[in-house]
Amino acid sequence: MTDQKDPGQAPVVEMRGITIEFPGVKALDGVDLTIRPGEVHALMGENGAGKSTLIKILTGVYQPGAGAIRVAGEDVRFGSTADSQAAGISTVYQEVNLCPNLSVAENIMLGHEVRRGPFVDWSATRRAATKHLARLGLDLDPASILDSHSLAVQQLCAIARAMVVRPRVLILDEPTSSLDKAEVAELFRVVRGLRDEGVAILFVSHFLDQVYEISDRMTILRNGRLVGEHRTAELSRMDLVSAMVGRSGEILADVGERAARVAAAEHDRAEPVLSAQGLGRPGSAAPFDLDLFEGEIVGMAGLLGSGRTELARLLFGADKPSEGALAVRGDTRAPSPLVSLRRGVVYSSEDRKKEGIIGDLTVRENIALAIQAGRGALRKVPAKELDAVVAKYIEALQIHPANPDALVRNLSGGNQQKVLLARWLATGPKVLILDEPTRGIDVGAKAEIQRLVTELADQGLSVLFISSELEEVLRLSERVVVLRDRHVAGVIHNGPDVTVETVLETIAERAAS
Amino acid sequence: MNAPNNVVANLRRLTRHHLFWPVAALVALVLACGAYSPGFLDVTVADSHLFGQPVDILRQSVTPLLLGLGMCLVIATGGIDLSVGAVMAISLAVSLTFIDANGPGTATALTALVIGLITALVIGTFNGFLVTVLGIQPFIATMILMVAGRGVAMLVTKGQITTTASPAFKSIGSGFVLGVPTPVVIGAVVLAIVAVLVRRTALGMLVESIGINREASRLAGVRATGLIWTVYAICGLLAGLAGIVYGAPTMAADANNIGLMKELDAIMVVVLGGTKLDGGKFSLAGVVVGSLLLTTIERAVIIFHIPSQVTPLFKALVLIVVCLAASERLRRAVTGLLPVRRLQEAS
Amino acid sequence: MNALLTAVPQWGARLRDPRYLPVTGTLVALLLILVVGQLRYTEKRSFLSMKLFSNLLVDNSYLLVLAVGMTFVIITGGIDLSVGAVVALVGLTTAKLLIAGVPLWAVLAIGVLVGSAFGTLIGVMVQYFDVQPFIASLAAMFLARGLCNVVSVESLGIKHEGFAELASWKLKFGEGRESWSINLSMLVAFAVLAVAFVILHHTRFGRTVYGLGAGDGGTAVALMGLRAKSTRVWVYVISGTCAGIAGILFTLYTKSGFNLTGIGMELDAIAAVVIGGALLTGGGGFVLGSAAGVLVYGLLQVVIAREGLQSWWTKVLIGVVLLAFVLLQRALGTRRARRRPVPVTPTPQVAAPA
Repeated sequence: MTDQKDPGQAPVVEMRGITIEFPGVKALDGVDLTIRPGEVHALMGENGAGKSTLIKILTGVYQPGAGAIRVAGEDVRFGSTADSQAAGISTVYQEVNLCPNLSVAENIMLGHEVRRGPFVDWSATRRAATKHLARLGLDLDPASILDSHSLAVQQLCAIARAMVVRPRVLILDEPTSSLDKAEVAELFRVVRGLRDEGVAILFVSHFLDQVYEISDRMTILRNGRLVGEHRTAELSRMDLVSAMVGRSGEILADVGERAARVAAAEHDRAEPVLSAQGLGRPGSAAPFDLDLFEGEIVGMAGLLGSGRTELARLLFGADKPSEGALAVRGDTRAPSPLVSLRRGVVYSSEDRKKEGIIGDLTVRENIALAIQAGRGALRKVPAKELDAVVAKYIEALQIHPANPDALVRNLSGGNQQKVLLARWLATGPKVLILDEPTRGIDVGAKAEIQRLVTELADQGLSVLFISSELEEVLRLSERVVVLRDRHVAGVIHNGPDVTVETVLETIAERAAS
Repeated sequence: MNAPNNVVANLRRLTRHHLFWPVAALVALVLACGAYSPGFLDVTVADSHLFGQPVDILRQSVTPLLLGLGMCLVIATGGIDLSVGAVMAISLAVSLTFIDANGPGTATALTALVIGLITALVIGTFNGFLVTVLGIQPFIATMILMVAGRGVAMLVTKGQITTTASPAFKSIGSGFVLGVPTPVVIGAVVLAIVAVLVRRTALGMLVESIGINREASRLAGVRATGLIWTVYAICGLLAGLAGIVYGAPTMAADANNIGLMKELDAIMVVVLGGTKLDGGKFSLAGVVVGSLLLTTIERAVIIFHIPSQVTPLFKALVLIVVCLAASERLRRAVTGLLPVRRLQEAS
Repeated sequence: MNALLTAVPQWGARLRDPRYLPVTGTLVALLLILVVGQLRYTEKRSFLSMKLFSNLLVDNSYLLVLAVGMTFVIITGGIDLSVGAVVALVGLTTAKLLIAGVPLWAVLAIGVLVGSAFGTLIGVMVQYFDVQPFIASLAAMFLARGLCNVVSVESLGIKHEGFAELASWKLKFGEGRESWSINLSMLVAFAVLAVAFVILHHTRFGRTVYGLGAGDGGTAVALMGLRAKSTRVWVYVISGTCAGIAGILFTLYTKSGFNLTGIGMELDAIAAVVIGGALLTGGGGFVLGSAAGVLVYGLLQVVIAREGLQSWWTKVLIGVVLLAFVLLQRALGTRRARRRPVPVTPTPQVAAPA
């Protein structure tokens, strides 16, 4: 399909040496991106790789600190999103950024509507909308309300809107994240049509199958740096995943070859602490089985968006499972945060700020919150008891500053994470679900948290450990549950011969269907 | 660290306390009144009862205090109760109508009080039901009663201004207990009860955590529904009590005017006391200071011979200023102007 | 109004469109009251008559104007609690200025501008200082009431000749008991309604108003390159201006200004808009629906009067009806809980300083 294209064809977008810094973070460091007319170009990278920052620079939301952008051979500086649009760059965002309460025609045409004097000429506007829809091969009633259509159609309407200004470049940011298979096929039919008309398409997706299906070339970023630019046909899935995930060179404190040691040991496999059978929720995670045994660390690996968090939330009851059964030490009540808390299952969210800490409360109050919730509002934890608990965890986890009355929002990320750990550990849990507990914290704090997790498991706690860092997962866990596209793709029993590559292969495997 | 630095640091800590500015304003206002009108601060004992301007201010500050305590808790959850003024009218109307029908005895007065309070509690529970179970936005849920409530009060009084006589009931608003005005005693007792209820139990902390971060609280196992519901019920109950204390001296249930615009007073004393309208951290002590400050302002208007019609205007302006001051954008603009101070705070 | 005429034949199909379902409910309610009224109150003469509608509009033209303004605000998902107080303030201002001998045209203009000023105040607080609409408009409501007290705490009667002429001007139709008329307030109210209809349905601004109510804080509208910010300010200015006009109409109706006028009038306006099919959560609503809501409101009052119930029943009944509509919307809203995409990517975190 890509053969007829001349590789020497003049690029429509050239970004060279793009660098941008945010307070304390170098988000992009000398990144290049080249997009040619009539190609679908995939932008790949894990969380924090800098994809969205790069897109925001191309759309004029951010201005780079260094580097040059050329569009169709001319140097440009985008001071605002309007500048970028004027240069012929249109964007369709992950969440349909249209107004569901307006009609299809309005959503496509508003801002470019046909007018007669100050008034909208509705019939002409609807005709124009129909024309733009027809270009994508869509036959919709332009007067119908957007909300009455499926998400896929809404997504296509967003593309139709983006095409009204006849852009040179169309950016599709995670356009498929909430579409089903047939809907994705429909979307790709449209994308191929536009490509064949000569539009350059920048495609961002977490779904490897889709990237391989649609893209001609790809640019891979990691930690704000360019890792490589390849023709899709020439890059194996394995190489892509390796490039995206990378090898962290950090040598962390040795946490004792626990994984190997414990994997050899025999657990009492008779009775799992937690057992999920066919647990699932449409749009969140496909039904899965999982047993968790006493003193076991189970890792969960998968690319961003593979369903790790969704699965954890179902186990805890943060989202209600709509099918399947969950038993915790024989207790089969439907999970909810309070039910889980009382039967010893706790969940530390990956989104510390939104779902973890209560920023305006003190360290003491944050630690007390879960114990208190378990007891009910009227039975306040006695001050003495609480002081002892708080002092114990501040010391054990080395929370800094060691001041129980400090406001949690003033603590560093690592210390906030420790406060959350303290909150959960103080409830005396049997099962600990940790979602990205080491993200965004420094190396020292990371090692401390890893050590702590192994100690807890040695004391008999079962831990479900979710992390984007595969080394970390492998170092800690006895079994690794690998997720892909919201399915459990496989379970790997950790051992001396299991390496990061083993996990990557499972992640990169082409979906069987 | 040398001595002057220490003093500066302590002073800064003092000025940063959330009650510093309200208390300072209160003290300044009282002193100004004292200077303008000698004898302002005198308290006399006549008939073994306390009299004088400070006593009057205390007595009148009880209504905003009662309303403010309930409103403060509701605001802490991130909600609002616009119906408190109407609830005042309803519970007074219920009590007085009961007395009107059953005579002036002390037992009747007590029963009337209880019935009035139960009515208020029921209304508060209804508001809580709309907000928590049905998930209606707090201001819409309580706005329905803000106006329909006055119609209900009219229904109770059959459109009349019910006037009746019951010395026992009247004394709730105008009597004395051991020389102290009854409303002041009621205010103090309610304050103590509420303080114990929210601070000796975990109610206060859980309410704050819901108000600051509802989702994080939910994931920590906090069940918001029951707590928020309780808070609206308490707010209704206290509004009912406020209506009775406020209206008892007149012994006239004027459904149209009792508690009119008292929502404003309630919101005012809460924000004056340093509790943010967005919810989260609240301060009961702040409500006390706020209600004293509000009442002293009203009294000062009389002392300084300012036309009393100006008071509501003044209150509205204060509310607008407080709203704007709480705005992130304004704060950013101001702190941007004061880079030096930012730097000091960071260090 | 050409579009209105061509739209008529499509109405049959449109009544079942989910967009218009709430309005269909309103029309059903309206018809029900009319039919019941016709059966129950027709004695010597028909309940249904031009006179009934003429009287309804004479009594409620100010409310119609308020409801039109409120519709703009509610479509964006906001609220304006200040309109009742603004009506009172405009009434008092008009009375005071006329008594002071200011020329009539200037008085009328100042009255309307007082309303616009309050709307601007609210809009700026909401858009530029992130104050929640109900708090901002509540503050404005208290401000307006406070200003009322400063202008006068007593009722000010208006004895201005020109003003009296405006108030009593009418076109008479029919004879005797069946006679009915159109007065100035009705014409103004209809004009406001027509202008609002055209603005909302036939200009880019009007469609932006709807877009703001899509429930994403105006993100989509801003990304579409429409003027999200200024539109949000403008809806409050429109509501305030309508409150100013309504204030004048109400003064023409009562021929006096009084500081306790219009307590609870904001709820009447909100009720009319909600009964007329607007969603309090924003994104949906029609000025014509609101007009039907005003008729329902007016008819309820007529029914209450005919049944010999006291006037305070209106407040209670409106509260009940409003509650019922809020609950109905809530039920409809949960049933078709929107299938919005679940974002896969967690919000990018700026690494916290360790």
